[in-house]
Amino acid sequence: MSEDRQYSSDAQRYMDGELHAPLSDTEQKDADRLMHAVQAYSEQISAPDSHLDDAVLDEIRKARSRSAGWRWIFEPRAIRLRPVWVPLAAAAIVALVWLGGRPGTSTDLAAPQATALGDTVFVRFQLLAPEARRVAIAGSFSGWTQDALPLVKENGGLWSITLALPLGEHQYQFVVDGERWIPDPRAHAQIEDGFGGTNSVVIVGPRGVVQS
Amino acid sequence: MELSDGTVVRRVLDGDVELYRVLVERYRGQFGKYAVALVGDSDTAADAMQEAFIRAYRSLSSCRDPERFGAWFHRILTNQCHDARSKRPDPASLDLVDLPGDDRADAATEQTELGDAIAAALAKLTPEQKEAFVMKHVDGRTYEEMAKLTGVGIDALKMRVHRARDGLREMLGGVL
Repeated sequence: MSEDRQYSSDAQRYMDGELHAPLSDTEQKDADRLMHAVQAYSEQISAPDSHLDDAVLDEIRKARSRSAGWRWIFEPRAIRLRPVWVPLAAAAIVALVWLGGRPGTSTDLAAPQATALGDTVFVRFQLLAPEARRVAIAGSFSGWTQDALPLVKENGGLWSITLALPLGEHQYQFVVDGERWIPDPRAHAQIEDGFGGTNSVVIVGPRGVVQS
Repeated sequence: MELSDGTVVRRVLDGDVELYRVLVERYRGQFGKYAVALVGDSDTAADAMQEAFIRAYRSLSSCRDPERFGAWFHRILTNQCHDARSKRPDPASLDLVDLPGDDRADAATEQTELGDAIAAALAKLTPEQKEAFVMKHVDGRTYEEMAKLTGVGIDALKMRVHRARDGLREMLGGVL
């Protein structure tokens, strides 16, 4: 771009609405022409009309209707274990701790692992963070509260936690030292969080299968 | 009294799905022109916006700060618009747009041709420049508002808008 095709810094400030001193006639005419053209364009286009609102709500209602039979599976709920299940639940957690807690190097670090018990699945999350003072997990299953679910530090800087999650898709991130949000490097699926960051995704299936 | 975004999001998540319409109406109005300018035509923009609202609804539980639903949705919408734009055929070349000339029929025709020329030139800007320019000059936002919406610093946003203006001037030299 040749130099004379660029606006001067004063002209830019004028178009930003920040320059109150006068520009030269030529510069002001140049700037006003662009602003006039953009205004013409802006008046030429319009936002989508209210039919869009109906279309969105229709799609959502259809989706809810399709999933009605399965909704009870995917809605988070409080977990109640009958006494008879308690030993089995304990065994499931022990199995997960054993699976995830073997003497570790970073290559032993696993994607979330799961064990099913009824319609609840125990999922073990791990993060290797030797320098961290504390690590927590925050996700759609906890209202994204950043300190509610702290991980426990094990040997070699490996942090872990086992959570009872309902079946369905959950998004999460680790929170290191209360300030640094990082996705799970071992998760198989990541999704943009809408703020320039990335959420990890774990999908908990009815047979304890976890796709993450 | 108008319900806040946070209140609406929480009530939708609690099962009051119909209340999602409040957010759709609110942000269709606020971001509608932005979507049209990013995509380049009204019908494709409406489709992109509809899809963005549905995606946002599906991911609503991952909206960490429901009071900032607007900023969160703005990012989803922007991505959806760029995706839709990339699937469209290339826009008309500036050479094919009827640029206003001395033989223009009337002022209304000139306005339309000027608008068409801007639309064709906008399509040639980088996505970041186009987003910033449209927020500033089509939506009429301040740099502070833009920074809150995008999470990008004011200096960086100014740089994008300035480069966009220089780019438009370069492309539309004969018109401007």
